[in-house]
Amino acid sequence: MTSVLSTAERSEQDTAGTQVPKQPSKHWTTAFAFAAGLVILIATGTLQISWSDLPAVPGQVWHYLQLMFASPDWSRLPRALFEMWRSISMAWIGAILCVLVSIPLGMLAALGVGPRWLRIPLRMIFAVIRAFPEVIIAIILLTVTGLTPFTGALALAISGVGQQSKWVYETIESLPKGTTEAVRAAGGNVAEVTRWALWPAAAPSLISFALYRFEINIRTSAVLGLIGAGGVGSMLANYTNYREWPTVGMLLIVVVVVTMLIDAVSGAIRRRIMEGGRARAVATNV
Amino acid sequence: MHTENQSPQTVNVAGSASWQVELDHVSVTYPNGTRALSDVSLRIEPGEMVSIIGLSGSGKSTLIRTINGLVAATQGVVTVGPHQVNALSGRALRDVRGQIGMIFQGFNLAERTDVLHNVLVGRFAHLPLWRTLLDLPTKHDRNIALGALDSVGILETVWTRAGALSGGQKQRVAIARALSQEPSVMLADEPVASLDPPTSHAVMGDLRRINQQYGLTVLINLHLIDLAKQYTTRLIGLRDGRLVYDGPVQNATDKDFEEVYGRPIQARDLLGN
Repeated sequence: MTSVLSTAERSEQDTAGTQVPKQPSKHWTTAFAFAAGLVILIATGTLQISWSDLPAVPGQVWHYLQLMFASPDWSRLPRALFEMWRSISMAWIGAILCVLVSIPLGMLAALGVGPRWLRIPLRMIFAVIRAFPEVIIAIILLTVTGLTPFTGALALAISGVGQQSKWVYETIESLPKGTTEAVRAAGGNVAEVTRWALWPAAAPSLISFALYRFEINIRTSAVLGLIGAGGVGSMLANYTNYREWPTVGMLLIVVVVVTMLIDAVSGAIRRRIMEGGRARAVATNV
Repeated sequence: MHTENQSPQTVNVAGSASWQVELDHVSVTYPNGTRALSDVSLRIEPGEMVSIIGLSGSGKSTLIRTINGLVAATQGVVTVGPHQVNALSGRALRDVRGQIGMIFQGFNLAERTDVLHNVLVGRFAHLPLWRTLLDLPTKHDRNIALGALDSVGILETVWTRAGALSGGQKQRVAIARALSQEPSVMLADEPVASLDPPTSHAVMGDLRRINQQYGLTVLINLHLIDLAKQYTTRLIGLRDGRLVYDGPVQNATDKDFEEVYGRPIQARDLLGN
């Protein structure tokens, strides 16, 4: 109690003796909150949502869940697993192509590595690619290559390059500058700095991002199947059209279980990479 | 692949002539407008052991970086050995940097890379690019790196990841990296500021030995007065980017240090023990 009192007394003395800095204005924060609220109001107003249907939604969801999962039809499981495997292959090839392109391009786009005349256009290309959804890129590719799983892999690779390259250059730019300075001080050029200062420090993150790209692609490849790129997504789209709910239910179970399994395994590998499993402790402190 | 029969080679630092360092009316203004150095002129003879003291922000780091061109002098002339550093760029500047060893407060090693490859960085200026990029150093370069490690007494750590070493060991790897350049000048930017007192003395002892054994010109940034007095022979004092003291260490009085620091000397200006 006494300590609280004395603190209060001291702070009173402080404010009496010294000038407390003025609190920064909060007008902008308030204005921003109002603007955000206004945007939400306008958005809901223009969508013409029939709010009266809302109470019926849970019942509808329950109805279809029962149709799908009350007694899933397992007779097409082998076919479903085969199509799932095709989706995984698509995701894997797409991830490898994407990473092989985005690591060198992303590094060239990093501040301090690539020259300015290359850096700016590269970043603009990445931004444009990021603006295209995978499905749009796949539809454009379909007209060129036709309906094959490779189209899906290619679409995944191209659409991933925008985000993946951005991760690469942001990783490179966020590295501590010390090692770079040391290599430059020893007479190293940009290539040597990249090889011996940036790459060793960034490699675990970049490999982890590559696995993460694979995880994303697994999920996205199901969506690409909807437009006919093959794999489990195509099968899912077909049976939804035929309204064969028990088969749809089985397919959803396969997709969710396999995706979660791959996420778990890949996540465990990524953690191990980032934490550096084989760090060797060294004996004596000289 | 890594042959066992190779033996560490004595670092041939003495073979390369020690260089003088000369600054003639050097000023540095950073792009953000900070004036880090103002009209500094000094001349350091080959083989001198010099400490540069001053508070943080006094321009010590900038001064030492103008010498190998990591920071460009905005005015004045920087001469190192036969080279006018401030007039060089690109390949020529990298070649001169290859002749100037440097160690840092934060060691600046590639933490996830083994000690040998950290030390081999010191050979970059002597190797063609394809050899450094493909990790194919010559046996000669590898032996120089091993010799440099041996000379600082940590040859046994050669295959250890640099990140797994203690602070003192890391700074010795950094010294070995600089030595393997077979340099003509050695720069050290606050080399012991991240180390405990006994390790600080060990690293300062290494630097003094390099100076005495090879006759190498050594410049060390320090903020601890007793270390400067004990290990170096000449003192340069910086305050707000200006040269305020330059003379032999034994002539420097407490009053001189107070002039450099702009305040009375305190316990934290000394390492102690």
